[in-house]
Amino acid sequence: MDMSQYRNLFLSEAREYLKTINVTVVGLEESPSDRAAIDALFRGAHSLKGMAASMDYGDVVEVAHSMEDLMIRVREDGLAFEAGVADLLLEGADLIEGLLNDVEQELEARRSPGDFARRLAAYMPSQTQEQAQAQPAGELQASAQAQGPAQAQGSSQPQASSQAQGSSQVLGSSQAPGSSEAQAPSQAQSPAEQDKGKEPTGEASTVRVRTELLDHLINLTGELITNKHRLLNIGRDLGSAQLNEAVSETSKLLRALHDEVMKVRLMPFDAICDRFQRSVRALAKRNGKDLHFELQGREIGLDRGILEQLTDPLNHLLRNAVDHGMEPSAERIAAGKSAKGLVKLSVTRDRDRVHITVSDDGRGMDPQVMIAAAIRKKLISPEEAVVLSPRQALMLSCLPGFSTAKEVTDVSGRGVGMDAVNASIQKMGGSLSIDSEPGTGSRFTLMVPMTIAIIHALVVQCGKVKVAVPVTAVHRTVELRREQAETVGKRQLFQLDDESVPLISLNRILGLPLGRFPSGIVPLFVTEAKGRRVGLVVDRFLGQHELFVKPLGRPLSKVRGVAGGATLGDGEIVTILDIADLL
Amino acid sequence: MSTTVMIVDDSLFMRKMLRDILEEEEYEIVAEASDGVEAVDKYKEFRPDLTTLDIVMPNKTGIEALQEIMAFDPAAKIVMCSAIGQESLTTAAHEAGAKAFILKPFNPELVARVLKEAAQG
Repeated sequence: MDMSQYRNLFLSEAREYLKTINVTVVGLEESPSDRAAIDALFRGAHSLKGMAASMDYGDVVEVAHSMEDLMIRVREDGLAFEAGVADLLLEGADLIEGLLNDVEQELEARRSPGDFARRLAAYMPSQTQEQAQAQPAGELQASAQAQGPAQAQGSSQPQASSQAQGSSQVLGSSQAPGSSEAQAPSQAQSPAEQDKGKEPTGEASTVRVRTELLDHLINLTGELITNKHRLLNIGRDLGSAQLNEAVSETSKLLRALHDEVMKVRLMPFDAICDRFQRSVRALAKRNGKDLHFELQGREIGLDRGILEQLTDPLNHLLRNAVDHGMEPSAERIAAGKSAKGLVKLSVTRDRDRVHITVSDDGRGMDPQVMIAAAIRKKLISPEEAVVLSPRQALMLSCLPGFSTAKEVTDVSGRGVGMDAVNASIQKMGGSLSIDSEPGTGSRFTLMVPMTIAIIHALVVQCGKVKVAVPVTAVHRTVELRREQAETVGKRQLFQLDDESVPLISLNRILGLPLGRFPSGIVPLFVTEAKGRRVGLVVDRFLGQHELFVKPLGRPLSKVRGVAGGATLGDGEIVTILDIADLL
Repeated sequence: MSTTVMIVDDSLFMRKMLRDILEEEEYEIVAEASDGVEAVDKYKEFRPDLTTLDIVMPNKTGIEALQEIMAFDPAAKIVMCSAIGQESLTTAAHEAGAKAFILKPFNPELVARVLKEAAQG
């Protein structure tokens, strides 16, 4: 029997089982006697073993088999589901994930499971281990020690590497993206046919689609939209009512097509949850923090591209929450809090945007401490500091240079990598806000679009160049009379809602000749940089356009301030600016 | 008329493999089920000539499903699927009325032979 035809199905289903194992192990640590979860773990390992045996992947069989045996000991022999068991099972899941990656890349020499199976078979409950170590010599002691430190090292390293790989793996696999959303019409099918494409856990009438196909679909839709704008231009030039009507009808159909394609690309947030559970668990353990990690809104759908880009920023935020935000139990008790801390990751949807919050009930951040640190680092002047609201002060943590200062992190309790987090959120057209109360905790809220690729942008003229700015980065546009601009020292300012807003020329930032404004009207758009509003002066507004964003290849992708490129309806290519990066 | 079969396994991969093996032998797959509860429900609905039933499954195990199906239809022809190392369960399944066993990983020829015998027997 030619088994190669089953390889992709094997890989995607095996990864689903791994995900179930990861989530279930972490859940069981909270409630170790949950019988249903213990059964599910046993079944997961058992099914993996059976599938791998059919594919003749002996090393996967070996690892899965030893995990199954360990679970039999938990299920039938009264072995407690303790941290040692959880560690070994997670290590096994990582090992299998690595082996699956090797299978996927068709590597002849796959990584070796080493002595994993032996260590599982030799596993002794922690109490027995202590007794064994108390003995002067002998076999028992040797095996117990071999499990101790070696196991701790062994489990943290492959875990880190598999997480790094995992960021593309989970999304890049042919796992049915958004299996709940990507449902094929089912009425016409017989029940038997419906069952054909059935998920191991889910409802009927879903189909598995290769992820590249989804990328092609959105690319084609984007090209169609670009072409629609071209047709609109031609129709306008020709003045043909018939053509315009046909284009307008096509336009409606395209919008509907775009919506549907976007829906197909949605994946539940759940797709990336297991790795957060894993990393929070590992971090808390490493730092000796006692905390509960809560996840809400797993079912909320996001574009798979956005999900992929969210992993790193969310990992950063969770790491900060555990490492810096959360106090040690003793400190919490002294402050009158519960010994066990709470870190929460929750996702909610607000129309076409998704709000993701990472919150903790830790020590919080003090705006005054943040301001003092920023002044000390010469990131802001004392005069600038005076006008900052508490919220703006917290946003100082996102300034490049703020977070690298070690003493700042220790004092403020926050800041590591926040500039990177903020930059990547802005890059996907989202925004970040911070709320914090010293002593009671912090909340980081990311607002990101549910979908990507097609954005609305303000197209402006600077010198001979047309550039596009995503409307999410534009607070408003202003046509300023020249005399409304004030000069204070070397800087130009204008008044907006009783606030002095600095004026900066976008031409100057882009290294282009400055505009002249013979009519005396200065066009500008207001955006936000470093938590403050700024007016960016351009030569002319060319209007709002629907753009299909294309990523730029190397080396253009390395250019600072450039988020991508797009084609306008007239065929002209515009650069899409990443304003936050530019300023 | 070809023999009708229902395939019960919680793994899509396993169902697909078994389906391919059986279709090659010109069985007609009338239903698939992915857990014990679904297996019992679909048995009642489709009344297949033969049922392949995995043992380790969520919601209701294969053995429990077997007992319920046999209680509903004592003439049901059920072939249990099990993995190596589950020999202890085979006695329970025999006692509950299973006709035969096929072992994972599947050997297509063996599967074909066992199912043919079960269908005739």
